[in-house]
Amino acid sequence: MRVVIADDAVILRDGLAQLLELRGHTVVAAVRDAEALERAVAEHVPDIAVIDIRMPPTHTDEGLRAALRLRRDHPGVGILLFSQYVETRYVKDLVAGSAAGVGYLLKERVADLDDFVDALRRVAGGGTALDPEVLPHLLGAPRGALDALTPREREVLALMAEGRTNDAIARRLVVSGRAVEKHIANIFTKLGLPPSGDDHRRVLAVLRYLEGT
Amino acid sequence: MRGERAGKELAYILFGMVFGVLAAAFTAGVLLLGTVLSVTAIGVPLLAAGLLGARRLGGAQRRLAAALLGERIEQPPPRRELPGFYGRMQSRLTDPYGWRAVAFFLLQPPQALIQAATVIVTWCWGAVALTFPIQQALGWNRVEGGWTLAGFALEPFPRTLLVSLAGLCLLWLAPKAVHLVLLPHRLLLRLLLGPRRPAARIRDLEESRALVVDESAAVLRRIERDLHDGAQVRMVSLIMQLTLLRESVPEGSARELAGKAQETASLAVRELRELVRGIHPPVLDQGLEAALTALADTVPLRTTLDAAVPRLRPAVESIAYFCVAELLTNAAKHGGADEARVDASLDGDLLRVEVADDGRGGATVLPGSGLAGLRDRVGAVDGRLLIHSPAGGPTRITVELPADR
Repeated sequence: MRVVIADDAVILRDGLAQLLELRGHTVVAAVRDAEALERAVAEHVPDIAVIDIRMPPTHTDEGLRAALRLRRDHPGVGILLFSQYVETRYVKDLVAGSAAGVGYLLKERVADLDDFVDALRRVAGGGTALDPEVLPHLLGAPRGALDALTPREREVLALMAEGRTNDAIARRLVVSGRAVEKHIANIFTKLGLPPSGDDHRRVLAVLRYLEGT
Repeated sequence: MRGERAGKELAYILFGMVFGVLAAAFTAGVLLLGTVLSVTAIGVPLLAAGLLGARRLGGAQRRLAAALLGERIEQPPPRRELPGFYGRMQSRLTDPYGWRAVAFFLLQPPQALIQAATVIVTWCWGAVALTFPIQQALGWNRVEGGWTLAGFALEPFPRTLLVSLAGLCLLWLAPKAVHLVLLPHRLLLRLLLGPRRPAARIRDLEESRALVVDESAAVLRRIERDLHDGAQVRMVSLIMQLTLLRESVPEGSARELAGKAQETASLAVRELRELVRGIHPPVLDQGLEAALTALADTVPLRTTLDAAVPRLRPAVESIAYFCVAELLTNAAKHGGADEARVDASLDGDLLRVEVADDGRGGATVLPGSGLAGLRDRVGAVDGRLLIHSPAGGPTRITVELPADR
């Protein structure tokens, strides 16, 4: 993958670049603010941009707003928000149209490099990767159709929203693949999703989950 | 007793006059120089130093007055200084007691003139006149061509005794005159070097409290920033380095240990995040509405929010935020509510935040409870906490905060 990194802390830019290069990925640019990020993405058109949310000058949500603009201007570039905080404002906007090619991970997730690189690859490939800590915030209070789901089904749905495959979900929950399929079928039914291509329904279910309707 | 007072008052005029005039010269000099130099970098510090100096000199004058005049003037309230160079300058330049001391000393020279004249006319002339016959006898004081007053010769002896008599009168008058001439001075001492009247003092206290509240909000925000840019970054960097370590050593105990260290570091990062959320949620930097929106997303309640308010004092935003956080948590935890409504509106200078829920009500302020803590927080900015929570519900709690002070 060709990666652009935006983070105002130089030790994190360097550390992340080192880790990604260890796995054979190319960091084409590592910048410290949103403006430079947009320039770098326009210049290199990377597979994915890893973006810190709080960057100069105001250290509030520069990264998020830059991500929204990148989404509009370069829809093919995967966006991974990489933050120390759970920030829900604008993130809903970011995933509202489609959660495809968007991710949000807390910074400590680099502890598991395999998982982390997997998440990056999913986002770069048009999938999603949402941090388990971030999801409940995006989901907010249980409401509407989601109320009908059992706790286990919600767990499965949350893992789907993280962009995991059925096999990965089965491994994570330590259940059989068939059990996962059953849960997913129930989720589709309860959310009133029409029987069509599974992948399409998956995305719809995740979106509904994210919108919380 | 009388003699003692007369002596002390005379001593006060002698010492106090010299001190007051020197202090006036210092004050006027520094202020003038500071004003002239205010176009340069040293003007403002000089002015600030002048005001601080005037206040300290005022203290010395007050002690002198206490010792010699028996004027027990209360000390003005202690000075508070904001941190940092500019804070220090600002605190000194806006210190009302500094300016009052300046006014006091600038009024000293004319008073000193009158006081000196009084002492000379009464004590000095009285002493000279009283001893006139002796001076004559010793040949110290010879009036050329004889001393006459309205055609009446005052010489020689025993007529010179008349002069002595006049001197005696003057000396008898002297303590009274000195006491009289010091009355306006005593008034100025009390007025300008003592504490101000209660109303002004209360206003001062309110202002300084508002400063303290704002300052503490700013400090919390700075702590949050420092943690974010410092400790948290380093912890994440540590996690990255441990990942590198794990990648570069063969499978075995070293790799396992690095993994354990990572778990600890991740825990620390999470704890720091929780800590920061408790002292100053970063989203508050984007205003109350943004912060409340984010908050509504995290509570286990269906929450409707209407909080279209402009940016306010950070301290007020912070208090309002933590109130709503506590009230929503209470509603879910103790009230058993499913739904809540949060309405924030600005009514003139008053921020009104109402949190209503459909729980079972009965919320009361118990000592040490969350609501008591809220009432204290709200009280710090002269706000009010209005609780309407009949048993059986619903609960409606309104927080009123003066938003513009």
